[in-house]
Amino acid sequence: MPFKFHGGVHPNYMKAPDTPVTVITPPPQVVVPMAQHIGAPCKPLVAVGDTVTMGQKIGENPAPVSAPIHSPVSGKVIAIEPRPHPLGDNIPAIVIENDGLDTPCTDLAPLTEAELQDQEAILTRIREAGIVGMGGAMFPTAFKIRGGLGKVDTLIINGAECEPYLNGDHWTMKLHPEELLKGIQLARIASGLDKAYYGIEKNKQDAIDLLNSYNPAQYGVEIVPENVKYPQGAEKMQIKAITNREVKPGGLPAGVGANVISTQTAYAIYRACYEGVPCYQRILTVAGSAIGESHNLQCRVGTPFRYIVEQIGGFKKEPKKIVLGGPMMGLIASNIDAVNIKGTAGILFFTEEEDRTVENPTCIHCGQCLQVCPMKLEPVYMYKYFQKRDFEKMQEYHILDCFECGSCSFNCPGRLPLTHTFKTAKLLFAARAAEEKARAEAAAKEAEAKKAEKEAETK
Amino acid sequence: MTKKEYTFDAGYQPQVRAKRGTTQIMLDVIIALIPALCVGVWQFGFAALLPVATSIAACVFFEWAYRKLLHKPSTIGDLSAVLTGLLLSFTLPANAPWWLPVIGGFFAIVIVKQLYGGIGKNFLNPALAGRAFLFASYAMLMTQWVTPNGLKGTAVDAITMATPLSSMKAGVALPEYFTVANMFLGKMPGCFGEISAAALILGGLYLICRKVITWHIPVCFIGTVALVSLIFGGGPEYSNVDWMLANLLSGGLMLGAIFMATDYSTSPVTFKGRCIYGIGCGLLTVIIRRFGGYPEGVSFAILIMNCCAWFLDQLTKRRQFGVSKEDVKAMKAAKKAAKKEAKEAGA
Repeated sequence: MPFKFHGGVHPNYMKAPDTPVTVITPPPQVVVPMAQHIGAPCKPLVAVGDTVTMGQKIGENPAPVSAPIHSPVSGKVIAIEPRPHPLGDNIPAIVIENDGLDTPCTDLAPLTEAELQDQEAILTRIREAGIVGMGGAMFPTAFKIRGGLGKVDTLIINGAECEPYLNGDHWTMKLHPEELLKGIQLARIASGLDKAYYGIEKNKQDAIDLLNSYNPAQYGVEIVPENVKYPQGAEKMQIKAITNREVKPGGLPAGVGANVISTQTAYAIYRACYEGVPCYQRILTVAGSAIGESHNLQCRVGTPFRYIVEQIGGFKKEPKKIVLGGPMMGLIASNIDAVNIKGTAGILFFTEEEDRTVENPTCIHCGQCLQVCPMKLEPVYMYKYFQKRDFEKMQEYHILDCFECGSCSFNCPGRLPLTHTFKTAKLLFAARAAEEKARAEAAAKEAEAKKAEKEAETK
Repeated sequence: MTKKEYTFDAGYQPQVRAKRGTTQIMLDVIIALIPALCVGVWQFGFAALLPVATSIAACVFFEWAYRKLLHKPSTIGDLSAVLTGLLLSFTLPANAPWWLPVIGGFFAIVIVKQLYGGIGKNFLNPALAGRAFLFASYAMLMTQWVTPNGLKGTAVDAITMATPLSSMKAGVALPEYFTVANMFLGKMPGCFGEISAAALILGGLYLICRKVITWHIPVCFIGTVALVSLIFGGGPEYSNVDWMLANLLSGGLMLGAIFMATDYSTSPVTFKGRCIYGIGCGLLTVIIRRFGGYPEGVSFAILIMNCCAWFLDQLTKRRQFGVSKEDVKAMKAAKKAAKKEAKEAGA
């Protein structure tokens, strides 16, 4: 039985679990950004004019928190230049002209039977295949697992998919159940554990039954059906649901002995180890009122949004917003020429229809934000003290523990921009901390200089 | 081929929101008050709707006019002024003259609500403050109880009559109509909207089901009144059970506990705070009724507790996710130790 967490909301899920996955033919030109993970961006390994094969490593950075990037198609490198990144400004990207042949790269061979049981071999392969958290956080998976070694006693696979609209994880379970279980087994071996838990929300009962029919126990996996409630798929809620442990404020999941990796990440691990295929494609959902019906697509990394929309029949209505990921925690993109990356679980094109902002948001002090906050914070007071810019009080109300799930804003009858405010507040806190650090450093330098001066004088 | 250019909004996270806004919540409260309104009309006739209508009209007008004069965006669309007007009229005798709620509405909307910044910012419940103002200014008009239709033609036929609470205050025997069934259905004298406990409880259940209010305040409030009045009784003239029933079912307790004390901006937001607030309201109600100068104490009890709402929120801050009871204890101990050390160092 999963453990319950406080609060949460029930958004209109808008899911289309029965729409089959369509494979999008790779575009004539792919644009592969050199940053598709948290950590050090990659440096290109190829030059303009080089021919590359599908799956060839084209970007790398030796830093531990990083993940190499592979070519999603075969063809010719025609440019290396800054291009629009989905999450903001232009950043360096490799533009490859697709020759349409999909000539596979043979650099990564499938692991041997012995290697499939070897922790180090699997971890090396996860890193080499450029696997990152495909739920959206894009944290390099190899680093995550390595960081937890010795501390983590519970490996959790996140199959909640609690965000509205998204179906990618659900379809991965339905299309590749056995491969998925094998992938989880590999992640479990890599973490040095005997058992892994796979938390899936009960609204995916068909997938739960299918996975159970493959006898997950033989892979050391237990399926845990979970209650349908947003944000069940948040890392901290997932750990609470399965282990009843609560991650300490400011702490890491590994601090309570748990690691969470997402469904498509586990599948990517399977592909990398059993088939020798690096991480360059994923299943994502394209939806929203500008699109009309939801589309579940299997799509290569580096496909421009404009191309994807053209492939599924164009816009039905003029889009007003592009949301990357789910609508609750998803980030806003501002350029339709940006491309999908490893962590893009969904691309939503919204019109005014989804918009419920009002001109004069007013707090009526109803306290519903307290009732839905999964972190048991008090958003109403955090918001009030933010408006006064009272940083001490904001800290007293633990504003830094907010993980921006959006539940309070979602439910707020006064339509306050709560989550947005807390995000801004956290940035201000970071800026203040940096400023203070700089000031302290400057003061220390000055003191040293004075000291040196004095010493010089006495001499 | 030229590519079509699009411009996109920035937008706040999250990009989707629940349907229910302030207006829907206020509408839900208004719906919850309809049973009590019907009982009022049943017992006092259609003439009793006049003060209700003028009350609503006055509150909406004052809200609109104030914001218009100060060039602020209009807020009458959120229905909170309608609700204030409705609640104010519920706390007046059924035969109140039409202009009485207009004065009360002015005090409630302009002085109590808008001068403090409008919806969500007032620290006193506007309807109750309006009632208290009228009570202080027109005590006679506010305490004349017209005989309800349900009791007409009985032995107690009269134009005005005493409520159970005022009988008890006077120390005289409880009136003849004092039966649980009568008081539950509303066959007793009293303010327009407060007479039927059944109708008000029905509305309260609707609000709890719709998650407009939580159970904490009404249950703690009513529970405290029941418990305290049962244990301590009202003096030698009455049995403890009679005293408790009179306390529970007559006067404004149900209306106050379910609709007034749960007013958002004037009550705490934490569950613990709400419980303490409810208990405080209950205690004050019994104390005022038993020892105070007035027969009725609900409105003053709530107004006094309104002033403590912010303090109660501060007092009952929640333990956030990931912090266990032991953690809190350890933090407190560490703070104490640090203080002690600082003291010793100072000495």
